[in-house]
Amino acid sequence: MITNVTIKRAVVCLLCIGILSLSVCLLVRPKKEFSENENRYLTKFPSFTAKALLDGAYTETLGDWLADHFPQRDFFVGFKSGAEIACGRKEINHIYVAEDDYLIESYAKPQNTERITDTLVSFYDKVDTSKVDVNLMLVPTAVTVYSDKLPAHAPLSDQTGTAAAIYEASGIPAIDCTDRLLDGASQGQLYYRTDHHWTTLGAYFGYLAYCDAKNMTPVSLDTLTAQTVTDAFAGTLYSKVNDYSRPKDSITIYTNPGDDLTVTYPDTGEVTDSLYNLDYVTEKDKYSLFLNNIHPLVEIENSAASSQDALMLIKDSYANSLVPFLAHHYRKIYVFDTRYYRDGPSSFLEEHSDITDVLILYNMNTLDSDTGIRGIY
Amino acid sequence: MVFSCIPFLFFFLPLCLILYYAVPFSWKNGILLIFSLIFYAWGEPLYIFLMLFSTALDYTNGRLMERFGTTRCRRIFFLCCSICINLSILAFFKYADFAVISVNGLLGTQFARPGVHLPVGISFYTFQTMSYIIDLYRGEVKAEHSYAAYLTYVSMFPQLVAGPIVRFSDIQEQLHDRKLTWAEFEHGLLRFMMGLFKKVLIANQAGALWEEIRILDAAETSVATAWLGALCFTLQLYFDFSAYSDMAIGMGHMLGFHYNENFNYPLTAVSVTDFWRRWHISLSTWFRDYVYIPLGGNRKGIPRHLFNIAVVWFLTGLWHGASWNFILWGVYYGILLMLEKYVWGKLLAKFPKVLQHAYAFLIVVFGFVIFAITDFGELGGYIGLLFSFAANTLADTRFLWYLGNYGAVLAAACVLACPVYPWLCRKASALSRGKGTVLSVFAGAGMLLLFLLSTAYMVSDTYNPFLYFRF
Repeated sequence: MITNVTIKRAVVCLLCIGILSLSVCLLVRPKKEFSENENRYLTKFPSFTAKALLDGAYTETLGDWLADHFPQRDFFVGFKSGAEIACGRKEINHIYVAEDDYLIESYAKPQNTERITDTLVSFYDKVDTSKVDVNLMLVPTAVTVYSDKLPAHAPLSDQTGTAAAIYEASGIPAIDCTDRLLDGASQGQLYYRTDHHWTTLGAYFGYLAYCDAKNMTPVSLDTLTAQTVTDAFAGTLYSKVNDYSRPKDSITIYTNPGDDLTVTYPDTGEVTDSLYNLDYVTEKDKYSLFLNNIHPLVEIENSAASSQDALMLIKDSYANSLVPFLAHHYRKIYVFDTRYYRDGPSSFLEEHSDITDVLILYNMNTLDSDTGIRGIY
Repeated sequence: MVFSCIPFLFFFLPLCLILYYAVPFSWKNGILLIFSLIFYAWGEPLYIFLMLFSTALDYTNGRLMERFGTTRCRRIFFLCCSICINLSILAFFKYADFAVISVNGLLGTQFARPGVHLPVGISFYTFQTMSYIIDLYRGEVKAEHSYAAYLTYVSMFPQLVAGPIVRFSDIQEQLHDRKLTWAEFEHGLLRFMMGLFKKVLIANQAGALWEEIRILDAAETSVATAWLGALCFTLQLYFDFSAYSDMAIGMGHMLGFHYNENFNYPLTAVSVTDFWRRWHISLSTWFRDYVYIPLGGNRKGIPRHLFNIAVVWFLTGLWHGASWNFILWGVYYGILLMLEKYVWGKLLAKFPKVLQHAYAFLIVVFGFVIFAITDFGELGGYIGLLFSFAANTLADTRFLWYLGNYGAVLAAACVLACPVYPWLCRKASALSRGKGTVLSVFAGAGMLLLFLLSTAYMVSDTYNPFLYFRF
């Protein structure tokens, strides 16, 4: 189609210059180890072995290395996503590009329901329910609560049905916060636009559902001190979609001025008086500021608690923004991350007779995709 | 190494071209040969020796046939030697597993599978070397005296792993004498870019949707979704395969070689016969010239003609992969060709053109379903979905969802599958000078934009399959 000889020559020259300058830049420019935008470590230069060369692993890794350290990688990755969205794509890497600038993780067909219920049943069987009150809370994700924001015709999978099946088969008394969240949807932002977690407000509605079930009087949001700690949170979904033109989220944290907290991290030996580590505000993964990211076990004592009860919380990261509300009601909370706590919370429960309540809390997406819950028994 | 990846486009190809243009002519074949061997070894470090053996064999046979082939008898001997060894290599490395599995399945025996890993491109280069020895026997080419030149011909990286199947007779002169001009280079680079865009921006997208639809549960697949999946695979295979040919032909031009066209808008065919004149032309002409015509073609009566068609299409199917579905796919076309020749061909030609196109298109799309799914159970299930008008819904929201997400890419694919681009080029060349310049600026800017976008896809490490590992 390029009939003009001069223009043809110019285009060819530009293509050649483009290719050569990109390849030279790739070779000479300093390399990054970690991609902030994509939230992952980039491929390391492969070490040469005869075996790796012969089975093709060496050349494959070399190809990955070149792609990962390509000059202006962020621009190219973002350009691709932007072009796809401009062409009408509403789903990228299993993330829906939804209304009101929301990115919403799709719910894959559950694969592990049976295994999860077996684990829960095993755990529950060993608990002396006359002494300990056990509850199971499976939190729906944005795909259920914000289903009205999903793009037209998006295939739906039924989180509610799966949760109901697990509640019933496990036999553990259920705390279903779905209705609370659906009611709360009009009162503010319950999930992050760029991340798969619920916001602190979403967690508050989860807390209300918990209080309903336990006959506790919830602390009103007005009596808590709210603080917006960042407005530049680009979460996990942002990094999977890589459309860098999207707006970022703010994170609001709540503290109860009436509480007197001692938070102990046995794995590092660290002791603080806050449920937040605001050092993470300056990092990429800002959600980690809740409960100081990942720890196998966190012990929280509140000497100003409204009761003498002790709660064992077995959970995924959704609970990290719920704990600040729960802390007011328990003299002590043991928080377990079952992906990393190796000894099994079951035996911990037997050894600690002070525990009066157990809450098992997972969100519906990681419940199935993450192997964490298998660690509870 | 696929052409549409960063190591190839940003390192291998530029380095090869720079050296190739820098050295004097007598060294150019050497540079090309070295780079071709590196290219092959990048993905198949061990099987490179198989290729060296295979070429050495045919080269030697060629020399022997030239030196000692004074009688027809002796020439046949050298020909048979070469063909038997070539076919044995192909049979062992490509079909041994398949044969053992088939025998075990038929007879209930328990022979161990040899577990041979298929060398990439073996079907392409075996057919190339056989064309040389057969043409030499027929006296259509002269024996090649330089092993390096012969090895360069067989291993030349533009066409080594995915065709086109270049005949020695087409390229022998160019191996020893070819012109490199800037205009040829420009033409070649732009042609290569067109292929790159087709592969990265269309074929890979259509393929990703096909992979998504293929694994859906039957209950989630409406009839429309199933046909959309079949269409996606058809578009993927056409755009992927013809893109490889475009890139090969383009690189050929950059290196001073002229390969024949391999695809001529096959999805716009008006009959099955027409389709096979337009699809993978280098393969169908290979079978025509080396199997069909030697068997007697259509000149020995109807029964023999039917037999010849059956043989050629059985082999064509088998060539595409060591699996029964490819044989079924070949037989499917064989039967349709017989029917067109002897039953409805003449009638079909009287139909309105649009019906002829629709007829051929549906046959082709359905045929590629057979091609796509190697497992017969899964294949049967998928074909059931295509025709489950009563049991399943005709169309559902999932179909609309896919259409919304991939509509732009599929629309572009459907337009480009028709000869729109050559038509535009003709129109452009008829424009006045001024208008032509304006159009050229826009087309050039579009080209650069598509290059950036293709790079973005390659950098993002998205779905980028190599479809010909079974060939």
